[in-house]
Amino acid sequence: MKLALARALLRLFAVQGSYNYERMLGVGVGVAEEPLLRDLGDAKYRPAVARGAHFFNAHPYLIGLAVGAAARAEHDGASPDQVERLREALCGPLGSVGDRLVWAGWLPFLSGLTLVGIALGAGWMAVAAFLIVYNVGHVALRWWALRAGWTHGARVSVALHNPFLQRAGAVLGPAMAFTIGAALPLTTQYLAWPFEAGARITFAVVAGLAFLALRWPGGAGHLNGLRLALGLAALALVVALVWP
Amino acid sequence: MTLPVEILIALLVWGTLVGIDLVSLPQMMIARPLVAGTIAGAILGDIPTGLKLGVIFELLQYDILPVGAVRYPEYGPATVAAVATAHASAGVLGLGLGALVGLVTGLIGGITINVLRRVNSRIVHAAAAALESGDPSALVRVHVGGLLRDAARAAIVTATGLFLAWLARPLLAGALTTRGATLLAVAAIAAALAAGAAGTLRLVGRGPNLAWFAAGLGGGLLVAWLR
Repeated sequence: MKLALARALLRLFAVQGSYNYERMLGVGVGVAEEPLLRDLGDAKYRPAVARGAHFFNAHPYLIGLAVGAAARAEHDGASPDQVERLREALCGPLGSVGDRLVWAGWLPFLSGLTLVGIALGAGWMAVAAFLIVYNVGHVALRWWALRAGWTHGARVSVALHNPFLQRAGAVLGPAMAFTIGAALPLTTQYLAWPFEAGARITFAVVAGLAFLALRWPGGAGHLNGLRLALGLAALALVVALVWP
Repeated sequence: MTLPVEILIALLVWGTLVGIDLVSLPQMMIARPLVAGTIAGAILGDIPTGLKLGVIFELLQYDILPVGAVRYPEYGPATVAAVATAHASAGVLGLGLGALVGLVTGLIGGITINVLRRVNSRIVHAAAAALESGDPSALVRVHVGGLLRDAARAAIVTATGLFLAWLARPLLAGALTTRGATLLAVAAIAAALAAGAAGTLRLVGRGPNLAWFAAGLGGGLLVAWLR
């Protein structure tokens, strides 16, 4: 079974490869689960593979919990309805825990630290450290999720209440807020450095107005960073060409 | 922008890998602009430019929280194209032109992601019978097809970005004065900083994390002032 788990883990790295609006990550989940179902026997194998590829959506790093749990439930003789209900029940929690832990915690925290490192002169070494440290956590989380799902099966909610997950979520939020807070002025200094005094004043005014536009109540639905940046760049280009 | 063919190929391959990493495989965050830009800079022998453009687009990335099926721009290949553009024009002109090319490429990348997901939906829908039969080879075929389409998409976005980089210099560089180039760079960088700050505040919310954000901001200001 270790080989099957290793195969499933490898396939989990590509779980979003066929991302679509019909089954979301379902096809990728089915592909990742398939090695764990091979010893079920002919009568159970194909229906289990088909179930594995049904609609599924969650955080990609924690999907291993659902893959392992569903495969274990199939081995434990759970009925098709029970397996489907287990999958449905896991979508929401795996999405919200993963988003909070990774997208709103681990990733922006390390990104903020890297910005601080670059602004303080660490250069490419800060980027290399980011890649290494981030992926230690990334791979560990994927492996833990798959193992925990396979261990607990239908009782996988036990794993979601793991104290480490709770503590990590509680620590990473403030850590992320602090590091990005520190990174913003240092990054501003780093980016503003090549400009002369007059340009720095323009820079501060434009940044302030742009920030207010993005935070303006009701405007956030239509205006995002890309649209704002493109609009400002186009305006600057027109001004620069008309008034050289 | 005139670059040796081997450098262009290396940038195209890197941009494609970066594009695949964003969603499909393996999400190890080489798609983050900080990483994409630094390696693109290393390929061009110009790491400082790669870092600078990487920082600008990383700030823009803070505006995005990739939860659920949210649509977002693709800043990885965009940063590669931006660095290629900036490398060809020194100083502030390079920064401004690079940011402009990167922003347009990021917009195109975001559109292609949405198109790819719609194409995948149709293919999955068409293969529903095979998938419901539990045929593992059909399942793998649909999945690998999605991966290959994403690779092709990422290559097309990167190639488009590099083409824009090639166009930018003859079209714009000659027409811009130093003041114009500075204005373009200021606009792009100021927007990135605003997007970074606004996105972070959305992430932080109004709860206790806001105090930590304020503490970090104070600490950062102090260090910046002392330097």
